[in-house]
Amino acid sequence: MRGPDPEPVAGPAPRTIEGASLIGQRISKLDAPDKASGRARYIHDLNLPGQLHAKIRRSDRLHARIVSIDTSRAAALPGVHVILTAQDIPQRGLGVNKDNPALKGEKVRSLRDEIAAVAAETPEIAAAAARLIEVQYEDLPAITDAAAARAPGAPLLHDNKPGNLALTFDYEHGDVALGERESDFVVEDTFRLHYVTHCCMGVSGMIAEFQPNGRLLLYSNTQVPFLHKREFAEILEMDPGDIRIIQPPIGGGFGSKLDIYPFEPICVFLARAARRPVKLVYTREEEFIASPTRQPVILTLRSGCRKDGTLTFRTCTTLHDNGAYTSWGATTPFVMMQTISSLYRLPHCRYHTDAVYTNNPYAGSFRGYGNLQATFAVEQHMDRLAEAAGMDPLSFRLKNAQDPGETSLAGLHFRTCGLKDCLRTAAERSEFPVRHRRAAAARNDGSRVKRGVGMASMLHVGGGAKIYPSDGCGTILKLDDFGRVTVMTGASEIGQGSETVIAQLVCEELGLPMSAVTVVNNDTDITPWDVGVHASRTTFIAGNAAIGAARLAREKILRAAARLAKSDVDSLDLHAGNIIRKNDGEIVMPFAKLLRALHFSEQADLVMTSFYYEPPSKHQDKTFKGDVSAAYAWATQVIEVEVDTDTGMVRLLKVTAAHDVGRVLNRLGIEGQIEGGIVMGQGYAVTEDLVIENGVCRNPAFRDYKLVTAPEIPEMDISFIETMDGEGPQGAKGVGEAPAICVAAAVANAIYNATGVRICALPYTPERVYRALHAAGAG
Amino acid sequence: MKPPAREITFTLNGRPRSVEVPLTLSALELLRDVLGLTGTKYACGEGECGACTILVDDRSLCSCLLFAVDLDGRAVTTIEGIAADDASEPLIQAFVNAGAVQCGFCTPGLVVQARHFLAHHANADRAAIKRALEGNLCRCTGYQKIIDAVAERVAALHERGEEKDARSRS
Amino acid sequence: MNSPAAYLVPASVDEAAGALSRGNATVLAGGTDLMPQANQGVRVFRHTLININRIAELKAVSRSGDWLRIGALVSVTDLLQNSTLRGICPMLAETADHFASDQIRNAATVGGNLCNASPAGDLSPPLLALDASVEMACHRDGRLQRRSLPLDQFFLGPRRTALAENELLTAVQIPLPPPRHYGRFFKLGIRPALDIAIISVALAGVLENRKLNRVRVAFGAVAPTPLRARRAEALLEGRILDEETIRAAAQAAREEVTPITDVRASAWYRSEMVSSMMRRLLHEAAGA
Repeated sequence: MRGPDPEPVAGPAPRTIEGASLIGQRISKLDAPDKASGRARYIHDLNLPGQLHAKIRRSDRLHARIVSIDTSRAAALPGVHVILTAQDIPQRGLGVNKDNPALKGEKVRSLRDEIAAVAAETPEIAAAAARLIEVQYEDLPAITDAAAARAPGAPLLHDNKPGNLALTFDYEHGDVALGERESDFVVEDTFRLHYVTHCCMGVSGMIAEFQPNGRLLLYSNTQVPFLHKREFAEILEMDPGDIRIIQPPIGGGFGSKLDIYPFEPICVFLARAARRPVKLVYTREEEFIASPTRQPVILTLRSGCRKDGTLTFRTCTTLHDNGAYTSWGATTPFVMMQTISSLYRLPHCRYHTDAVYTNNPYAGSFRGYGNLQATFAVEQHMDRLAEAAGMDPLSFRLKNAQDPGETSLAGLHFRTCGLKDCLRTAAERSEFPVRHRRAAAARNDGSRVKRGVGMASMLHVGGGAKIYPSDGCGTILKLDDFGRVTVMTGASEIGQGSETVIAQLVCEELGLPMSAVTVVNNDTDITPWDVGVHASRTTFIAGNAAIGAARLAREKILRAAARLAKSDVDSLDLHAGNIIRKNDGEIVMPFAKLLRALHFSEQADLVMTSFYYEPPSKHQDKTFKGDVSAAYAWATQVIEVEVDTDTGMVRLLKVTAAHDVGRVLNRLGIEGQIEGGIVMGQGYAVTEDLVIENGVCRNPAFRDYKLVTAPEIPEMDISFIETMDGEGPQGAKGVGEAPAICVAAAVANAIYNATGVRICALPYTPERVYRALHAAGAG
Repeated sequence: MKPPAREITFTLNGRPRSVEVPLTLSALELLRDVLGLTGTKYACGEGECGACTILVDDRSLCSCLLFAVDLDGRAVTTIEGIAADDASEPLIQAFVNAGAVQCGFCTPGLVVQARHFLAHHANADRAAIKRALEGNLCRCTGYQKIIDAVAERVAALHERGEEKDARSRS
Repeated sequence: MNSPAAYLVPASVDEAAGALSRGNATVLAGGTDLMPQANQGVRVFRHTLININRIAELKAVSRSGDWLRIGALVSVTDLLQNSTLRGICPMLAETADHFASDQIRNAATVGGNLCNASPAGDLSPPLLALDASVEMACHRDGRLQRRSLPLDQFFLGPRRTALAENELLTAVQIPLPPPRHYGRFFKLGIRPALDIAIISVALAGVLENRKLNRVRVAFGAVAPTPLRARRAEALLEGRILDEETIRAAAQAAREEVTPITDVRASAWYRSEMVSSMMRRLLHEAAGA
């Protein structure tokens, strides 16, 4: 594979035909017709000949030593092929701390713990057999409260983790004591962020098959196929090259499929033992109980400012309930500390996280990756400090907002920065200043239903994220003799529209209609390496890689055309499927005809390879200082709410969002990302609550885990701030996570604006809001 | 032991079909696991998400709540039937054009529900469209573009209705 | 999930009652409660599954004399769309509009919602407030017999009703509301319809000169069964709906309910909402 030429990335390709650009157009998704007509085949829809069905037997104790496991009755059930327990597979831990063996042998630490697994002829037989497995336990004292886990003498979940400490994070810049001395106003609050979960409409699942040559074929929903190859190889003691991962269309990701979870190696071990393909698909209840959550956090924030509104310091300590095992949720401080240290100009900052083991469910990564939690706190303090300093929320934020070219004291370098434009645009379009004043003045007018507006901004990575050793993506581009372009990219499509945007970027370079491109993006035997779909990186990283390959092809085609047409290469261009003359637009020859003319000739090297390897940022040092992304996304959202003080019901009326997206590539796609993110943020703020009581999930069903439904969505007014990032593909930055991040914070500020009551815990269910109003005497 | 079963005959996407079904089998399981019509999706199994919506005698139902034996003598239309029906092509195209599809898992159920709604409420406003879709959960789109797609069809059908009226008057 | 051993599809009430008289049967109507309850293992199928969905009589809405008769298989969508019903009992349409989702409304039946006897069943409070009775049929002495029972005697506890094992609920009967009848339903949930009520309340009566007569107040999700708030009714009967009356009635209602704490809400919040929603409905009536 070769990289792009030294300087091809800067700026869009030269164009001479006005209005011909695909950039910024509304382009429908390439996979939409199949999906809308029910033809797309998800994992759940696939069945292999000879396939068996798997079921996992989970713990029904919170914390217990396993005394014995008797599988004899289950094994006797007709149709059962294989039953595995911990003794049948290597005891290798999964996850960030490698603390989570796929099957637990010695003890269980939460109700989701996997104890045994069955492969049988039908799902019903597998489920019946799993129930027949008899487990004897010896109960141990359980901890379901993060603070209690740190108490001296608390029972230990993992013998090698004293104090139940899973991970700690520390960050500091400046001198917070000095910052506090320089402050005229200081505020402090403790914020409590709850459990929510991804609720992908397609439940988790996998099909594993060993081929006669010993290679493993996985049909998987993973968001990180290439990292998974390596992880599976370690667990299975295989050569990673012998693992092929195919991703059928994925029924939603949102970060939930970034880690390897026990069900996946379990499925593979069953297939290996049964010598048959094995399919393992969750029920919805299992999805609620046994898939990761968003990280619950108790966050104490202390912030200060001067009389003139200049921020002076922030001190943030968080307690993360790590659950029984360590997945990505515990590492969300990587992102949280960026918001604490660098959302607005801040001279002094200190940050500390303890992630502690409990017998609760564990958290994974989830769209926004800790940033919803951090922004919820920081943006409420921006409002509190503004009020203390006698400033309006907009002026206060503008005073502290960064400008392009700045580097935060954490080392984040903002080559482009649309924060001030986002603030001004959202405020103007929502009439924020007047509505905010009016609502505050009307607080005590005696009406039962009150309105308010709240503002919140956010900062997030928008140009990849140096979390793994590599943040790269490769592209192979093939031109066939009939003018069709096949783009093979490592980047996965999980519904977000990466397939379409990659095709669009290639078509833009090659002057082709969207119908001329096929994107292959779901088979690790075909596609080049990519780190995975996460961190809002795919358009940026995979898009740049695709542009690199397309520009190689463009150059090659134009050179060949110039030779054939006996003209100067600089006088030719590609447009609408033709090679044209630049000066008058005259068609020289059709693209397909040129390719046929090259058929097996010396110039017919029509497979290009390229990669993009996010270059400007380096890995952060051990103190978490340094750039983590090639570009940063910014946004401001103003949210208008209605609070029914008789019931505590909060309704979102309107969200006015302004997002610095670098540049709009596919307008339809980016609107969809932002609308979907806002409504996901609305769920986090108002309706969704995964109730975990003493380690037990009390609402593992959509009946009582309330996703937002169509009638509840707010009016959405979305503005794009186009800062044309020099490093981004056609100037674009990542946007996948951004829209969900500041919703809850803006709602919190809006409720305060409406009622004068600040509520520091989520979600804003009617009862929570009613209680708070009642306690404040405002209800 | 084979579970108690019953032979049923029903119309499936316009064609008669006979099949023996266990008494507790859901219509969803019949369609997906027995008949191989996988466009109808399982996402909750308790009628809370609408991913398994089908039409039975022209009413939209959650197939996960419907006993397959109860289909006897009735007419069933699934997303496969709708996709094969030229009259529904504009509806599917409206979903595509409006950007109403992201991961797509909820989409077939939404198309079926939208088709049912359009057949009965040709003059609906946006609020009525939202209410009609409240039984279909979507985690990706935030619903806006789904509502756009259905609203586009309402407007198109309305326009065509007016044209027809104008023709019949003249 | 277990399986029934036999399956019957009676064509008439007589046939269904005959099948029920042999005992050990599970009745299938809309299926929207039966299927998920069976899947979760909270309902066990009995020997015979009796599918009553082919009994035409049970799908009819009719008016005879002073009574409105709603067949047990009338769907919630029918409550919303049937013009006779909408004209006579607009409160039922208002309730139906807050019932689950279109797909569920299309399947769920009036009889099924009552027989499920959920304390939070959406149709129970408005039907209680309309003085509804339920009609039940069975075979006795070798022939079909029907009896009628006021709805407020029908609910015995969570998921328990006065319906005997050999009986089929065939219809709901509602006395035709008199002129100037007023009825409102309110359901408190996080979502507009697709939600199980945190609490629900129905208020009905004859409204004249800011006074309610023949007052009925009924609540859902605040006690083991849907319930009439008779002390609140008595306080309201014939009185001008002024602040004091409204406050007293709301307080009385609050004292009559015995809510529990569950995953949806605490007992305290439910009690608060009983008085709060009572006040709101009464203020609306006073202004109507």
